[in-house]
Amino acid sequence: MDFEFLIDDKLRKISLERKESGFVFSDGEKTYGVDIYSISSHVISILIEGRSYQVYLAREKEKRYLSLEGEEFIVQEPEASQEGVQKGEEKSKEGELTVKAPMPGKVIKINVSENEEVRKNQTLAIVEAMKMENEIKSNIEGFVKKIFISPGDLVDSEKPLIELELKK
Amino acid sequence: MFKKILIANRGEIAVRIIKACQEMGILTAAVYSEVDRESLHVQMADEAVCIGPAPAMESYLKMDKIIQLAHQISAEAIHPGYGFLAENAGFAQKCERENIIFIGPNSKALSLVGDKVRSRQTMQKAGIRIIPGMKSIPKDISEYNKEAQRIGYPVMIKASAGGGGKGMRIVYEEKKLKSALEAGMREAKSAFGDESVYLEKYIEEPRHVEFQALADNHGNIVHLFERECSIQRRHQKIVEETPSQALDPTLRAKMGETAKKVIEVSGYNNAGTVEFLLDKDKVFYFLEVNARLQVEHPVTELTTGVDLVHQQISIASGEKLSFQQEGLQQKGHSIECRIYAEDPHNDFLPSSGKVLFLKEPKGPGVRHDGGIYSGCEVPIYYDPILAKLIVWAEDRKLACQRMVNALNDYVILGIKTTIDFLKDVISHPQFRAGKTTTSFIPKYFDKWEGREKTDEHLRVVLMASAFDSLNSTQAQKGEKITPKEIYSPWQSLGKWRIGGK
Repeated sequence: MDFEFLIDDKLRKISLERKESGFVFSDGEKTYGVDIYSISSHVISILIEGRSYQVYLAREKEKRYLSLEGEEFIVQEPEASQEGVQKGEEKSKEGELTVKAPMPGKVIKINVSENEEVRKNQTLAIVEAMKMENEIKSNIEGFVKKIFISPGDLVDSEKPLIELELKK
Repeated sequence: MFKKILIANRGEIAVRIIKACQEMGILTAAVYSEVDRESLHVQMADEAVCIGPAPAMESYLKMDKIIQLAHQISAEAIHPGYGFLAENAGFAQKCERENIIFIGPNSKALSLVGDKVRSRQTMQKAGIRIIPGMKSIPKDISEYNKEAQRIGYPVMIKASAGGGGKGMRIVYEEKKLKSALEAGMREAKSAFGDESVYLEKYIEEPRHVEFQALADNHGNIVHLFERECSIQRRHQKIVEETPSQALDPTLRAKMGETAKKVIEVSGYNNAGTVEFLLDKDKVFYFLEVNARLQVEHPVTELTTGVDLVHQQISIASGEKLSFQQEGLQQKGHSIECRIYAEDPHNDFLPSSGKVLFLKEPKGPGVRHDGGIYSGCEVPIYYDPILAKLIVWAEDRKLACQRMVNALNDYVILGIKTTIDFLKDVISHPQFRAGKTTTSFIPKYFDKWEGREKTDEHLRVVLMASAFDSLNSTQAQKGEKITPKEIYSPWQSLGKWRIGGK
């Protein structure tokens, strides 16, 4: 069966076929005969020419989190992640720049008001998460178009905080 | 000895204390906020009571509610852990008035050492060297300006009521002082409920060396040697070890005696840590007393063989220390890594969410103190510490190797953690050489990106993903997934029960 995966945001095309004596894996360049066993719902054991690998895997929605020999990987199917990219593009086409919280947290202070001119790297707001304050900075020179939050609000990492407009 | 202890904390430290109580035959009562119903400490304790909504101010910091609860459930003592109410003298005092034993220092000593300005004055009078800084907390914010000029830039803003890097800022020039003070005060207020901050001279490239002390209620004081905690990011420790590479037996003895003197002049009892800054000329300055069980206490436990939580509980119940200074010695080397829910690739931003899968490292000389499990949620409201990984070995070289291997063997899927970053810290040649100062992280890890992934690993991960896809499509179609072909006697036994007929 053919697969397309985005692994750490790079697209890879591979195939994996189940045979009687194990699996055949191909990455387009080379073909490998491999032994794959599901040890438990989160552990997969792979043998390739006698070399043993233990892979840990967990799924959340369309995302697969994997760990191999102390390294972590995120693997997604390309359809799922493309939707997100397109949505993002649409927004930037309108010439608006939406500032989002980098992590879920609580709004402590808003340092700017609507229509105010802002410099690059100017602190727009302060969001607290896990008892640490994090400054949300402007990445452009421009104006504050709209503020969606007030102090005390709880925000998640997808919620728009402030809309900026580029200086013309 | 106590029959029941209420634990006024959450996460890995609550779990650690529950384990000690269980070993001592003491019942435990956990408290929890509305978002912590599924937390490990709630599951492990004998009793658990919800004390309010998620924000700590409305739950874990509710003093009267917690004391009242202790009465209701007949707990004789409260263990505050670290953070939250651990260093709150007002809370200790309320406990004293209400005849509940606070497992920590007496409120008078706590109020003295908790007030960093007053404790510095006391130490100075006792002839203990301190870092130049402010003598009092000013009423007006403009007075900080004058003080900063007197001390000389760079200055460090520190929260009067707490530690853990909360409220802390370094200021290099006057025009940055005001905004840094405001941020520091807000952080101090939300972390400790007290916005007082003060300034002191910032000593560049120092080592952070602290001494663990134990003092019983009968005037006996011992120290349990040092912990080196120089590896910090955002002024918060992430790696601790003992013994320190910077001390020789003479300096160790001198600092140890000074630590005991600090405990003595403060009228301090129970477990406490005396923090020093050690400059490059091996001059040490008294910094503060951490009036609590420290996050990094396990490295002392593994090298001295003394269980500090057991000691805290015994001391609080009025028992005498069962050993003297001469009977204590350091054996081998121990390192601790703090596992935080933070993204080291993104300025250590906190990363809350669900732990989809957890595999704790195991093996000889490996200890894991954790507050998480596969499937648990990490809420945004509290400190992002998930767990601590501690190793012990005969010497430092082996301890470093053991730590790297244990970190490699440690899997947390679903949220970002500092595991990978810590691996590179421990592997760094300067760390291996024992050249650890508080500027280690900014100096060597400012532009850290992690290791490049090999084609071999990418290939194996793709195989596993494809295999997982094959299995899940089959499962959806209702096909039978090939069972693992490893022989297991349980599969052939059918239902069984120990002692069953």
